[in-house]
Amino acid sequence: MIFFNRQNRSRVSALVCALIVFFFVCGLAYGSGGEDPAGDPSGHGSAVVTGGDAHGEGGHGAHDSGKKMQDLIYRVINFSLLVIILFFVVRKTPIKDFFSNRINEIKNNFEELNKEKELAEQRYQELEQKLKDFEASRQEILDQYKAEGVAEKEKIISEAEQRAKQILEQAELTIQREIKAAGDELKQEVLDNAAKQAQEILTKEMQESDQDHLVDEFIKSVEKLH
Amino acid sequence: MIDSKISRRYARALMSLGQEEGQYAEYGQNLQAFTDLCSANDEFFRVISNQVFAIDDRKKIIEAVLEKSSFSDMVKNFLRLLLDKNRIGAIKEITDHYARLTDEISNIIRAKVITAKPLKGDAEKRLIQALKALTSKEVEIKVSEDASIMGGLIVKAGDLVLDGSVKIQLEGLRESLKRGEYN
Repeated sequence: MIFFNRQNRSRVSALVCALIVFFFVCGLAYGSGGEDPAGDPSGHGSAVVTGGDAHGEGGHGAHDSGKKMQDLIYRVINFSLLVIILFFVVRKTPIKDFFSNRINEIKNNFEELNKEKELAEQRYQELEQKLKDFEASRQEILDQYKAEGVAEKEKIISEAEQRAKQILEQAELTIQREIKAAGDELKQEVLDNAAKQAQEILTKEMQESDQDHLVDEFIKSVEKLH
Repeated sequence: MIDSKISRRYARALMSLGQEEGQYAEYGQNLQAFTDLCSANDEFFRVISNQVFAIDDRKKIIEAVLEKSSFSDMVKNFLRLLLDKNRIGAIKEITDHYARLTDEISNIIRAKVITAKPLKGDAEKRLIQALKALTSKEVEIKVSEDASIMGGLIVKAGDLVLDGSVKIQLEGLRESLKRGEYN
């Protein structure tokens, strides 16, 4: 329906006129080209003109010019039909909208891709920052664990040394105690033997006079208590 | 403990009666004689103190003994009472408590002297005098010999113990050496 409005009709008319003028001018140029055989090196026209010159037949020159015009007209008509068909086909199909939409789509896609690219870059920056932070955190954790490990190691060594010291002190104490116990036991044995020997000697050597002396001493001590 | 309390109670009862009549010393001697009789005749003591036997039979037995004795009537009645109350088995403890009460009243302390060898000369007399001066009481001693003390004397008078034996001195010396007092 858009072909029936005034503006389009004038445009079509102008275009058809322009084409007719164009093909007319082209036909004239084509027709005038046969009179100058050295001026046109092109194949077809040159062959016709050259053929005329070779045969030297002046009567055939007018006849060839009529054929050329007829051929030109057929060609113009053929070409015009092609242009018209193309014009309608192009106008009929939404190719312009298609390309326009396609342009917009590509533009939108381009913008979206730009946005996605920006987002991706932003995401990349974030991830890179996170990676840096993670790396820093990892290093910090590693340092912390290393420090703790060193502290734990020192603590274990210190405790082990302390424990070893205590064991040595305990062993020393035990040794001293055992030595003292052995000494006490030996002393006890010596004392027991000495007491036993003394008892045997006293029992054997005790005389009447000794008993009288002991009784006398006892009575004197009782008298002193008073 | 209960027997000791009961024995002390019976002893005090007889002592109060003896003091009233002024014959507590005689009663004490009678009780001691009966206790010695029981100690010397164990079968007799077991029969009169055993409740398996009939009380009448036991009374007959003890009456037979008392008739032949010269004990005072008070002591005889006391022994009959002990038999009736089934306390005749505690006669030894009663006699001991009665002796202590008698000694307290008479201001007498009895001392047991253990010696390694017999005392010679006036040692016993001097010892009695020394103990008398120490306790301010009349002292009666009973001397016994024990060779295990090796030498010297041991005197036990009530709660008072005086040990002058060689054995205890030797043990003291041994303990002192053990404690390292002579290092």
